[in-house]
Amino acid sequence: MKKEIDQAIVMENVVKEFKVLNRHEGLRGSIRDLFSRDYRTVTAVDNISISIPGGQIVGYLGPNGAGKSTTIKMMTGVLEPTSGNLIVNGCVPYKNRTKNCENIGVVFGQRSQLWWSLPLIESFRLLKDIYLIPDRQYDEMMKLYSDLVDLEPLLHKTVRQMSLGQRTLSDILAAFLHDPKIVFLDEPTIGLDVSMKAKIRDLIKELNRMKQTTVILTTHDMGDVDALCERIVIIDHGRMIYDNDIDHLKSYFGSYRILKVRLPGDIWEETVIDESKTDVMSVISDYQKKGKLLDIKLEEISTEEVIKKIYENETNERKKISGIDKSRDNTGIAV
Amino acid sequence: MNEAAIANAKRGFSFYARIYRKILVQDLKSKMSYRADFIISTFGMIMTNTVGFMSFYILFKNFPSINGWNYHEMLFLYGFSLIALTPLQCLFDNNWSLRYSVESGDFIKYCFRPINIFFYFISEVFDVKGLGQLVFGVAVLSYAWSSLAIPVTVGTLCLLVLLLITASLFMIAIMNFAAATCFWMLRSGYVMILMFRFKDYARYPASIFDGLFRIIFTFVIPIAFIAYYPGLVILHPDNIPLLSKLSPVIGVLFFWLSYKFWMLGATRYDGTGS
Repeated sequence: MKKEIDQAIVMENVVKEFKVLNRHEGLRGSIRDLFSRDYRTVTAVDNISISIPGGQIVGYLGPNGAGKSTTIKMMTGVLEPTSGNLIVNGCVPYKNRTKNCENIGVVFGQRSQLWWSLPLIESFRLLKDIYLIPDRQYDEMMKLYSDLVDLEPLLHKTVRQMSLGQRTLSDILAAFLHDPKIVFLDEPTIGLDVSMKAKIRDLIKELNRMKQTTVILTTHDMGDVDALCERIVIIDHGRMIYDNDIDHLKSYFGSYRILKVRLPGDIWEETVIDESKTDVMSVISDYQKKGKLLDIKLEEISTEEVIKKIYENETNERKKISGIDKSRDNTGIAV
Repeated sequence: MNEAAIANAKRGFSFYARIYRKILVQDLKSKMSYRADFIISTFGMIMTNTVGFMSFYILFKNFPSINGWNYHEMLFLYGFSLIALTPLQCLFDNNWSLRYSVESGDFIKYCFRPINIFFYFISEVFDVKGLGQLVFGVAVLSYAWSSLAIPVTVGTLCLLVLLLITASLFMIAIMNFAAATCFWMLRSGYVMILMFRFKDYARYPASIFDGLFRIIFTFVIPIAFIAYYPGLVILHPDNIPLLSKLSPVIGVLFFWLSYKFWMLGATRYDGTGS
């Protein structure tokens, strides 16, 4: 364990299982359920091992219900892993919830953790007391904040009166206030407008750079990933399916590009082309044989497309294994 | 283990007292700023208490004594129970919203701070309305006290404070238990409402209830400890039952159990819905 002391988070074969009652239908079924001991086990997190060194921004991605939240809850000490080792900042989060909480900051989507009826500055002062932040450190942090964002108009507003963007901003500032080693951000830009998203991303990036805070970011917005993440971990059905940096991601399935062609009748058609297998010119000539081409556009594949492909690929793999895959849809990929 | 001990020492009683005071002051400030809400809820509280007292008064206009208890003695229990219920009303009101925050998944936010979850949750709301009840209760109790010509000494006053604290602990504990059921069951609102209704029986002497109900109200849902048993200490000092004498100990124990039960639920909480 000694050698991993510089690691912010170490997960070794972590498994989290939930017991779910098998429910029966109808009134008779519900009565049976009252006394039933008929449980099935659902594996939310299935044997995940990762180490995250301090200071990294990691994008933790996966489709809805993949087990992201469950992992975050284990890292923050809310849930206990069923098996495996999980060390956060050198301690076991579930056994030392209070101690773990001193060294982490959490922003959970649209759920503000600030006191609704208090002006922001009072929330900050309370947090200063709760985290026992020394005066000097607090003043420095407030100075830094006012350099990074337009803080003054926010400070005397209550959280209740804030717009969603201001609230998210405030929540992020609150999460970094005690200079934690790790900050967990769960969909921080959800529901925000473009300029607010950019503001939030800049803020996270700056804070990470200046304070060397490790950031674990879960999001469905690939703009967040592109702007912030050095490393990406993707999980699906509780299993880790990708763990590498963002540059590798684009070439994960070969080098993809998107060809858009305009056909008569002003119809745009999109084809994702894997250049390691097909070349763009031959696809264009195929189109030309079929009819007149009015216009073409060639685009680099976006992170979003790659992630989508990884999810789909994983789903197809699973189908193949379980033998349901009789009619595999091609998802529009020219091979 | 050692580090945990240090962390606990850092966040001891004075730490929590300071945090609580700050939240309280800020919360009161913000409550005052919603003036209409403040006035209406204060008015509502006065009305509730007046109506409650009216029905009590009408009852005694018709029955001059109940089971050997005269009007002023009953009034004493009534005032006593009002004061004893004030801490519950003022300080522990957030228990009423526990089930909503558990159902919606918002409860998870209380798990992310390095402080006691129960404290963090409960400290969030201070209900000013309860103060009206306190004023009313003090007035009723003082009137009953002087009418019964109970001597006022430093000793009896200290005893009174101790008994009031004990009585409060019982009611708070009952509501802690009721609120915490939401960690296990879906429709826990009914449990809370039912338990809260029982408090109305607290102002009557437990001796008017028959065997079964008396046992229930003493040992299962101990509302007899909210006014009856502690009240006996002052009203009939020459004949104090054992349960009255033990009530401070039982009260602390019962409160501690309710706190443990609440915390057990909180650790069981898995943040579904997020």
